[in-house]
Amino acid sequence: MYRNSFIVHGKLALPYQYFAGRLGSKFIKTLEKEHKIIGTRCKKCNTVYVPPRSICDRCFLDIKDNLEEVSKEGTVLSYTVVNSYEDHYPERPPFILGLIKLDKADTPFVHIIKNVPINKMKSNIRVRAIFSNTPTDTILNISHFEPVDYSVFEVGYTYEELEIGMSASFTKTITETDVYLFAGISGDFNPMHVNEEYSKKGIFGKRVAHGVVPQSLIAPVLGTKLPGLGTVAIEINTRFRRPTYFGDTITAIATVKEKIEEKKWVKMALKFINQKGEIIADGEAIVMPPKG
Amino acid sequence: MRDRKREVAIVGVGQTKYSSHREDVNQPEMISEAIFEALEQTSLTMDDIDCIVHGNMELFEMIYQPDLWHTIGTGASGKECLRLTTGGTTGATLVCAADALVASGMHDIVMAIGFEKLQEGHTTGGITNMADPLWGRKLQSGALVGITATQMIEEFGEERAKKASIDYRIIMDMHAMKNPKAHRRLGLNFDMAEDLMNNSPQLVGELRMIHMCSQSDGACVVILASEDKAKEICDRPAWILDHVTVHREEHMGTLFGFKKEKLTHRHAAEVLFKRNNINDPVNEFDVFEMYDPSSWWGVDWLREFLLFDGDEHLKLVENREILIDGKFPVNPSGGVIASNPIGATAMVRFAEAALQIMGKAGEHQVKKEVNKALASGFGGTFWTVLGILTADKPER
Repeated sequence: MYRNSFIVHGKLALPYQYFAGRLGSKFIKTLEKEHKIIGTRCKKCNTVYVPPRSICDRCFLDIKDNLEEVSKEGTVLSYTVVNSYEDHYPERPPFILGLIKLDKADTPFVHIIKNVPINKMKSNIRVRAIFSNTPTDTILNISHFEPVDYSVFEVGYTYEELEIGMSASFTKTITETDVYLFAGISGDFNPMHVNEEYSKKGIFGKRVAHGVVPQSLIAPVLGTKLPGLGTVAIEINTRFRRPTYFGDTITAIATVKEKIEEKKWVKMALKFINQKGEIIADGEAIVMPPKG
Repeated sequence: MRDRKREVAIVGVGQTKYSSHREDVNQPEMISEAIFEALEQTSLTMDDIDCIVHGNMELFEMIYQPDLWHTIGTGASGKECLRLTTGGTTGATLVCAADALVASGMHDIVMAIGFEKLQEGHTTGGITNMADPLWGRKLQSGALVGITATQMIEEFGEERAKKASIDYRIIMDMHAMKNPKAHRRLGLNFDMAEDLMNNSPQLVGELRMIHMCSQSDGACVVILASEDKAKEICDRPAWILDHVTVHREEHMGTLFGFKKEKLTHRHAAEVLFKRNNINDPVNEFDVFEMYDPSSWWGVDWLREFLLFDGDEHLKLVENREILIDGKFPVNPSGGVIASNPIGATAMVRFAEAALQIMGKAGEHQVKKEVNKALASGFGGTFWTVLGILTADKPER
C-alpha cells in the first residue's frame, strides 16, 4: 500500500544470477585444489590477465586456452583502508584492500591484506598469497595476502609523526665486563677504570666506568625507539655530571625538544640517570628521522 | 569527419534549473520545461521537430523505457523517437546521434533530450551495477574514485596537488555563481582553500566531499538543424565540426592499475585534433566545457585533453587561466561539479559550448568572442566523447 499518492516510495530487489563461466570457474577451482593462481596470456600483445579472461579486448583474440600459472607473490600497486561495514564484506573493518599485481601477471586484482599495521601500510610492498584450508568456491580460496618482508614496516617515527614531548628510554646495568670490553675497544686502560687499588686513592674511591659507556646507552633509544629505525644521528653533546660505578643501573632517556622545520631534523633532550635517580649526564642531540 | 551529406548546427538549447530536489514536477513535466525553453529560443513549435532522441542512465530511477511514457512531456507523440543510453556519456551520445540523423539527410530538425531525476533513484547503487558482478561489483564504490588524488599527490607532492584541486573547485564554484541554472552555488573564494582541503569530509582518501560532483535533477534539450534551416532559425548557430567517441572496457579492479595506459581522453583528443589540424588547443579553443566529475579529475583531465606531459595543466589552474576571463576558460557554467543530472550532464557540455558560440550564455558568457569550443563527455569504466563546435560553418 502507498502511504500517500504524492510520493510513491518503492524498493525493487530484483533477483539475478551471473555465471563465472568455464574459465572463471577453473580459476577458482585451481585456487582450491592446487593452490595455484592461473591467468591467460594473449600471444599477440603478451598481456597476462589475472583473473583470466577468454578474450583479449585489445587484440580481440580468443586466449582462453593459453593458461599459465603466475606467481603467488606480487607487489601492491595501491590500497585502501575499509572503515565502514557492509553486509557483503568478508572481514570486519578496519581492513586493507590492496590492488595486487602478481609476478608474471600484467593485470592486478584486489584482495585483502593482513598482518600489516594499518598506519604503516604503503604501496609497493611485496605480498604473498595465503591459501585457505576450507574450500569456499570463491576467490576467498585465497584467504588473504600478507607481507613477504616485515622489516619494511619497522621504521621509526617520521618528522611529521614526531611531536614535542614524546620520549623513550633504555636501561642497562653497567658491569665490570662492559668497562673492560670498552677499555679494549678504545685502548683506554686508564687505571681509574681498570685498577681498583689505584682508584681507591682517587676522588671517586673506586673504579668507575668510562664516561661514554653509560652515555652510549642513548644509541639504542635514538636508533631503535625514538625516532627509531632509519634515524641518522647528526650531533650529540653531553655533559658529565656524576661517575658510574660498576653495577650501577643506568637509564638513558631522549625527549623530543624541538623540530627544525627547514632541515626536517629533530633536537632531542638527553638525560642519563642511575638507580638512585641521580643525573649522571645530560645534553642534547640532533637527529634526522626516517622518511617513512 | 568523413563524408557528411550536409552540415549540422546546434540552433537551440533549453535547460531546467538543476537542483537536488524537484518534488514539484514529475519526470515528463520536468523535461517539458527544458523543451519549452528550447522552442521559445528557436521560435519553433513541436510540429517543426522531425525526430526525438531521448536518453538517461539505465534504470537510475528504477523505470524501464522512460522514452515511451515520457511522450506526454516530450512531444514525441507520433514522431520518430530513439532511446539511447551509454552511461555518463549518454548526453553527448545523444548529440552525436542527432548530428548523424541530420547529417545523413534522414531528418532536418532533431531534438535531443537528456534528463535525470536522481532524487528518485539510487545513483551509487546504479553506478555500482556497471561493474562485472563476479569480480568487480563488491569492490565498486559508485563513482567515488580516490586514486587520482593519490597519483597526483605522488607525482606533484601533497601541497601542490591538494592546492590545485581545491583551486579548481573554487573556480568552478565562482563560475556556477554566475549561472542561475547551476545546482550547487556555494559562494566559495580562494581564502577558503586551506580550510576546505583539510576539513571537508573524506570520501575516499583525499577525495573529499567538496571535490565531488553533486547528484542533480534536471533536463537538457538541444535542437540540431540541417545547414539550410540552421541560419533561418539562429543568427549565429553552433556548427558541429567533428566529434569522436572512444570506448574502453576494463575489469574494474584493474582499471587504474593496468599498466599505465593512455586514457581514452588523450586518445580522443589526439584523434580529433589531428583530424582537424588543431596544434595548439589552449590557444585555438576559446572555451572548453569539460565533463569533470570531481575536481581531482578536472585538473588531471586537463592534462589529457590538452595533450600535456608535464605540469602545464597545474599551471593553468595555479595561474587562474581557466577562469571565465582567463586565457583558457574552462566550464563557465560551473561544470559537472556544480550540476550533474547524469543523463543530461554530457549534453549540457555541448549545450553550454553552443550557448557560448551563440552568445546566449547570459551572465556566464565568456567576454571574448567564442569561435571555437571544445566539449567532452565521460562515462562508463572509461569512455570519452569529445566534440568541436564552431561559429563558422565548416568547410570540408
